[in-house]
Amino acid sequence: MKIIACYSNKGGVGKTATSVNLAYACAQAGMRVLLCDLDPQGASGFYLRVKPSKKLTEARFFEDVKRFTKSIRASDFKNLDVLPANMTYRDFDVFLSRMRNKRSRLKKALKSVGGDYDVIVLDCPPNFSTLSENIFKAADTIVVPVIPSTLSERTFDQLVGFFDEHKLPKKKLRAFFSMVQRRKKLHVETIAAMRKQYRKRFMSTSIPFSADIERMGLYRAPVVTYASRSVAGLAYRELFKELKKGLDSKR
Amino acid sequence: MSDADNDLVVFPGAFDLDVALQADSNLTLQAELHQQKKPFVILDDHDQSLRNSGCLLIESGNRLQLLQPDQVWVSQAGKGYGKFVNELPDGPVRDSLAGFPPLRALTEIGRGIIETGSLAALDELQKTVVRGSFVVLRSDAGQVSLASIQRLRGYDRAFETVKGSLRSMAGPHHGLETVFGALFPNVEQYQAKPTIHFGKLEPASEAATEIIRTFIAVARKNEAGVIADIDTEFLHDYRVSLRRVRSVLSLFKGVFSDQETAELKRIFSDLMSPTGRLRDLDVYLLERESYFKLVPPSLHAGLGKMFDQFETERAREQKKLSRRFRSASYDQSMKELAAQFDDPTRLEFGQNADLGAYKYACSLIWKRYRKVCKLARSIDPETPDEAVHELRIHCKKLRYLMEFFAQLFDAKAFKTIIKPLKRLQDNLGAFNDCSVQQDALLAFAVQQSSSSGQVDANLGLSVGGLIAILNQRQQAERERVVSNFQHFDSPDIRELFRILFQTPGD
Repeated sequence: MKIIACYSNKGGVGKTATSVNLAYACAQAGMRVLLCDLDPQGASGFYLRVKPSKKLTEARFFEDVKRFTKSIRASDFKNLDVLPANMTYRDFDVFLSRMRNKRSRLKKALKSVGGDYDVIVLDCPPNFSTLSENIFKAADTIVVPVIPSTLSERTFDQLVGFFDEHKLPKKKLRAFFSMVQRRKKLHVETIAAMRKQYRKRFMSTSIPFSADIERMGLYRAPVVTYASRSVAGLAYRELFKELKKGLDSKR
Repeated sequence: MSDADNDLVVFPGAFDLDVALQADSNLTLQAELHQQKKPFVILDDHDQSLRNSGCLLIESGNRLQLLQPDQVWVSQAGKGYGKFVNELPDGPVRDSLAGFPPLRALTEIGRGIIETGSLAALDELQKTVVRGSFVVLRSDAGQVSLASIQRLRGYDRAFETVKGSLRSMAGPHHGLETVFGALFPNVEQYQAKPTIHFGKLEPASEAATEIIRTFIAVARKNEAGVIADIDTEFLHDYRVSLRRVRSVLSLFKGVFSDQETAELKRIFSDLMSPTGRLRDLDVYLLERESYFKLVPPSLHAGLGKMFDQFETERAREQKKLSRRFRSASYDQSMKELAAQFDDPTRLEFGQNADLGAYKYACSLIWKRYRKVCKLARSIDPETPDEAVHELRIHCKKLRYLMEFFAQLFDAKAFKTIIKPLKRLQDNLGAFNDCSVQQDALLAFAVQQSSSSGQVDANLGLSVGGLIAILNQRQQAERERVVSNFQHFDSPDIRELFRILFQTPGD
């Protein structure tokens, strides 16, 4: 099982769109995927028409394995399930360690309901706190969308700084440029500069700024399901391929 | 209510695309037709193994769809008619049919027109909360629709709602028998060993007539399969049925008059004999692979030659028998025979005809049991093979007798007895097969040799190698006979035989 965290310490960078489209691409490739909506402001569940469960938002449900497994919802797409929760950091912490532990009651419970997932995609909250360290430790890969702007450049510096400071493996960081507008000189220049500075951190695929992605809120579905040949759809597919290559080679 | 993740609802008639859900739910059900009318064939073997195990296999176009007992459909590309399961292309249908009888081929049970589509229940966000599919089948006799729905994780309530709505629409119709009943009401269930009904006090003559009448009918139901050459089990069942008739004739002493017994024995022996060679060849050809495994590759060339000849001869024999089965004279004589057993006034009975079936059965089984025990207890390593062969025959007769009269006795006790008996019989059967095959191989080699006794080297080597191995196997089987008999001869089983069959005065 692989854990892919979609993380950004800055909001509004296309993180949730990335989580949903990547999770969908994994599922399309035949992997069994659980997409966890961990971001209280995120909308992974919304994009997939899965209503948040009241029970989950109010309860300390991780102490109750059964209720946790019960709160998982099938999406409209094969192999893709959604955990439409917003958890507290503490819950999240427990969740990660239990998902990693093959013998935990959580894993057994998931297995018993046919939910032995190949991939868990985490749509992470944008907060930048010491507790995020646990996400970074638990995840196999941390996908970081970066808008090629001055402000995003700074936040990415901070993220890398955080990894240095806490001696975390920077190899896990797989950033990509998000909402790219080739017409903007600033974008083009920032991309060139950042690729130079963080040569190994950035994937070669970029996701363009696209009305098709914005329309996800309207269709409430992954981009490729309603705009399969769109530039954005193709870009997400490429992003998945590049990411998968990295994950496979790590084995 | 079950917690199954799937539910199948069978509707008589067409599937109504405007399914109304329970009024209090906020769900809408959508049905979408995927495949327009196409011809279909329902496949099964002659025993209807699939139907009996709760499966439905549909072939339409180049697609096989299997409804499994857990009510989940699987499908794959390919055609199945006339094929054995191991001849199907790889896929989920083939995988699910792993337990299908390996010697039986798929044949047509019925045909008609099929339409398929998908079902989805949507909530107010247009999110799919229950998924499903439907199949509409039409035949000349009627039409039936199958809707299957699937529970989606986290949407249990919606699943129960849709399930409840569909079930209440369908009414009290459930299961596959509704499907067969609606589409193919005239298709009979074939049974190789049907239960024969007669009472304990009924005269032995009536029991005998009933058994013979039943097995003539069973034999006849296999003729078409032999003619079409669908699989080898048709001929096998045909022969077993006739053998049962013959064993009634020889075991039920004094039930028919001596003259009648002799005449009937001749008739059934004449029916049996034209089938013998074809059955032998079938058995050899079925064993082909295991023969090849028995000898090293260096001897394979000769084996290949031998099987080619068997194949040619089999084709000839099959044609001959098929011609016989299709002939008017054969049909006429079978009809005549059946009519004779339908009307007992046309039979001449003997001195035991009026004995009560139960009492008669007890004495026949008890005597045969004592014979088996006496013979088996005398077998030691020095005993000639003939005694082992004889034991096999006695066991077989005992088994037939028990099966004929099974319904007069306690089923559970019978099961307890039959289990070790069957094991002993399998053992004796394997012993016999090895012996018969050695004889056949020798005969084949002789037949292939020139007038001066010369035989093709490859052929000779292969046959010789096989005979050596088969002889070893035969000895190994023989060594197991004593222990298998001891198992059958346990105090518990002895006690059961006494309780069931020993009558005072015996």
